[in-house]
Amino acid sequence: MEAFLNQIPQQLVNGLTLGAVYALIALGYSMVYGVLQLLNFAHGDVYMIGAFVGYGVLTALAPKSGLLAPPWAIILLMLLAAMLICGLLGVVIEWFAYRPLRGAPRIAPLISALGVSFFLQNAVLLILTANYRTMKTELLLPPRMGLDIGPARVSAVRLLVILGALALMVALNALVRRTRLGRAMRAVAIDREAAGMMGVDVDQVIVATFFIGSALAGAAGVLVGLAFTQVWHYMGFTAGLKGFTAAVLGGIGNIPGAMLGGLLLGLTESLAVGFISPTYKDLIAFVVLILVLLIRPTGLLGARIQQKV
Amino acid sequence: MFSLSVYCRLPTDTTMSLDKIGQDEWVAQVEARRAARGPLGRVLARLEAANPFVVGGLLFGLAALLPLLTSNDYVLRIAGNVCLYGLLALGLNVVVGYAGLLDLGYVAFYGIGGYGYAMLASNQFGIHVPTPVAVLVVVVLAALAGLLLGLPSLRLTGDYLAIVTLGFAQIFVLLTNTLDKASVPWSSQVVNVTGGPNGITAIDPLHLFGWELSGVGGYFYVLLATLALVLLMLRNINQSRVGRAWRALREDTLAAEAMGMPVRRLKLLAFAIGAAIAGLSGSIFAAWQTAVFPQNFDITLLITLYAMVVLGGLGSLPGAVAGALLLSVIPELLRGPDTARLLFYGGVVAMTLLLMKPRWRGVALLVAVLALGLVVRLAATALWPQALGPAPAPVSSGLGALAQRWLIFPANATLAGNLLFVLVIGLLMIVSRGRRPGVRFVLLIPSLYLLAFVWETRLAAEPSVTRLLFLGAILVLLMTYRPHGLFGKPRVEVV
Amino acid sequence: MLELLNVTKRFGGLLAVHDLSFAIDAGEIVSLIGPNGAGKSTVMNLITGIYTPTSGDIRLNGQSIVGLAPDAITRRGLARTFQSLRLFLNMSVIENVMAAAYPRTSAALWQSILRTPGFRREEARIRAMAEAKLAFFGTRLQGYRYDQPAYSLSYANRRRLEIARAMATDPKLLLLDEPAAGMNPHETEEITHLIGELRDRGGYTILVIEHDMGLVEGISDRVIALDYGEKIAEGSFHDVATDERVIEAYLGRRAVRSRQ
Repeated sequence: MEAFLNQIPQQLVNGLTLGAVYALIALGYSMVYGVLQLLNFAHGDVYMIGAFVGYGVLTALAPKSGLLAPPWAIILLMLLAAMLICGLLGVVIEWFAYRPLRGAPRIAPLISALGVSFFLQNAVLLILTANYRTMKTELLLPPRMGLDIGPARVSAVRLLVILGALALMVALNALVRRTRLGRAMRAVAIDREAAGMMGVDVDQVIVATFFIGSALAGAAGVLVGLAFTQVWHYMGFTAGLKGFTAAVLGGIGNIPGAMLGGLLLGLTESLAVGFISPTYKDLIAFVVLILVLLIRPTGLLGARIQQKV
Repeated sequence: MFSLSVYCRLPTDTTMSLDKIGQDEWVAQVEARRAARGPLGRVLARLEAANPFVVGGLLFGLAALLPLLTSNDYVLRIAGNVCLYGLLALGLNVVVGYAGLLDLGYVAFYGIGGYGYAMLASNQFGIHVPTPVAVLVVVVLAALAGLLLGLPSLRLTGDYLAIVTLGFAQIFVLLTNTLDKASVPWSSQVVNVTGGPNGITAIDPLHLFGWELSGVGGYFYVLLATLALVLLMLRNINQSRVGRAWRALREDTLAAEAMGMPVRRLKLLAFAIGAAIAGLSGSIFAAWQTAVFPQNFDITLLITLYAMVVLGGLGSLPGAVAGALLLSVIPELLRGPDTARLLFYGGVVAMTLLLMKPRWRGVALLVAVLALGLVVRLAATALWPQALGPAPAPVSSGLGALAQRWLIFPANATLAGNLLFVLVIGLLMIVSRGRRPGVRFVLLIPSLYLLAFVWETRLAAEPSVTRLLFLGAILVLLMTYRPHGLFGKPRVEVV
Repeated sequence: MLELLNVTKRFGGLLAVHDLSFAIDAGEIVSLIGPNGAGKSTVMNLITGIYTPTSGDIRLNGQSIVGLAPDAITRRGLARTFQSLRLFLNMSVIENVMAAAYPRTSAALWQSILRTPGFRREEARIRAMAEAKLAFFGTRLQGYRYDQPAYSLSYANRRRLEIARAMATDPKLLLLDEPAAGMNPHETEEITHLIGELRDRGGYTILVIEHDMGLVEGISDRVIALDYGEKIAEGSFHDVATDERVIEAYLGRRAVRSRQ
């Protein structure tokens, strides 16, 4: 029993790390869903590309002879490069695979998204082969660095993941609440047609949404790569599924909901790993999701839509 | 409020001509004409207008001749797979296409069918139930599971239903993976229920009418006959009160309810029928493969099935089968390097000739690409002789040899191929969405040349990756070209 | 035929319908009028079972229908149209009508799979029924229109198709929610005539919600006026139209004073 209780703080830290990443991925899902009512199933693969970009930057700046820049600068550069490239990738995907399908049946872009996902995965497989790449995180943040909070140990990498994700979420929240673009995004989310008639450039808003959502996924990819060190072409699939789950858990289309859903999913999973069995962590996560949805059919923070007759 | 997209049926009555129908009617059919535009549209419109029994009978008759024409097990196996996927796509079509319920747990019913049959007819528990009984039990079991999963659909809609059903599928795969060491409550005994990752093997073959089915050909016939029966059954259901009610509740659940349709019961019925078809397919699959493993029923299959149904056209029966045919045959054709090469170059030439208008432009483009290759080669002879070869993966004869003698290959061709691959994707994307035909034409010349280079250096070398890569590209292109699928009717959606 | 007894509906703090009672007799055409937000649509949704009343009772042919699902209520002989038009847009015109015959058909699934004679007879019967209902509207929804998708219809034709669809459920009582909304004066005149026909030839009892006073005047045996969820007047069109509270509800207090 005591061993159990002692585990709790450590599992909370693990859950928080995992949850922060899920939340970042869920945000991209939710934002795109908010403006287009589209499930962007290629989102997980954008995250995978982000991880590879981070890996590429790290490999270029950390040759065998030593680091070419201070660790903080390298981390920052990894994040910025991944966010920029993933953001652009998101914009290109929207332009090529989703824009021609506006107004088509809702399931058509879903299949198009799956096509993009297959394509990205296999393009990476073709160019970079199926080998796992290992990120040399220890060069940037030595494993012994970290904080001890009571019985729990928060390594520097985990701290980076949690704080980095938090900073990005705060920035996103400010963007959506305080800026002109954010206002336009909210308007498009509520009624695309009406927003267009009121002079909002809907296409521009959609492009911006894809850019921001994909950039967040790219950042998540880098953070996960740093924390768990392994990068490979298929990593986007599970992560995408988890992000989707988190987004739905919080109420899809809802930004604070995505954050809450991500954290909750991460905590549930790590507590399940700690107290029940690692084998059943996905099962428990899904059971929690199903229970939440049966009690609140539109997620934790999702709006209850009263149908107008 | 709603966006109008294209559709209407072409008049099936071919005697109806322009001067015999009223102006109103001509105007009302504008969308039918629009849908029938383009080479693909014309063929599909003609197929739609034909008598389905004649076309269907002819196709099934031809398919039935296949085992007589070839004894190649590989070909028959693919043909059997087409039928199996066709069955699965038809079942999915009931839930998603007719009733409009986004069910992502569908493969679990296939799995229940497979594992159910495996447990009833193998040494796993030492039970060997006669085939008809086993299949019947499994189908009923799958239908009951469908009802069970259908229950949340009464409360949840759209994407929320999707995630719950997806969870169901994930849990199914997880349980099949871990129930090899199931502990029995109140005892320390451990029971092997599903065989875990090792699956269940040595499953009994089907015994029908005193015959033990063996060989690929036999299973092909069983699958083909089942497919025909299910197709007929679904066609009849579709054109009955239940079919109309399903489509009505897909269109507008509230209005359907207000028109006296028992929405809950209809939704559950759709889930149960879809699940029963999946269960039936699963039991045939298990008997055919004589083994089932958890990964036979994972999410990749679900994605493939969805792609088939949507590609064929949601709610269309011939569409579901056509989607299954396309998506199981194309990847197979891309498997062997020679057929893949033929398909690739043939596809490029055919697409160019079909899509470029006027026709002479397509011809001019191909000539220009060939000329570009020759010019590059001539220039290389003079300036850079070491780039003339050899190709990274030399082929002795045929199309490949010809293509490799036309292209040039620098020393580190693999790296160049990788870089140019990214470049070509970009170029082709610009070309396919570009507005000005002149720019497109000029851009296409280097694009096609580089595409051939990338094909020879990278894609032909990695056939398994290339297959999936092309599958992805085809999905995107076909969806953007024909959003309602091959046989689907363009829909109006109320947002 | 239909009775509302002290019906009240609350949405949170909002009192949408308050202590409303009225009755409709067989063969009557009754209009429900009132300014926007008076609670007319809520009343419609209460009767058809989309909402359940907070208190009070609704009776159809003497039996309470409170708490029944909308489809169960429809099967008891009550059908409606929607103000916002809710056709099955991607189904053909004839299918829209035939689909609504669901509660009046009984072929089992196995019968439709095997195409038994019983099934064929029933299909032929509802096809003929659907054509007959569409024939109510002249040639507009006939011939080649049968097989056209509902979304290809004009606005006025969609309204007509909704009425035909409601008729196909074989109701005794028809509830028409703003049948003239979005129609031009000519079409409104036509619908006025049609509602009379529906009673005289179709034998339906009809409850209409409507804003167009010309139409209300043209068809109503009786008019009920609502304001803030309460009944403020009931009687012949003339009585209600000259009622002070009704004028006040529509035009404000000053209008009443200026008349005096």
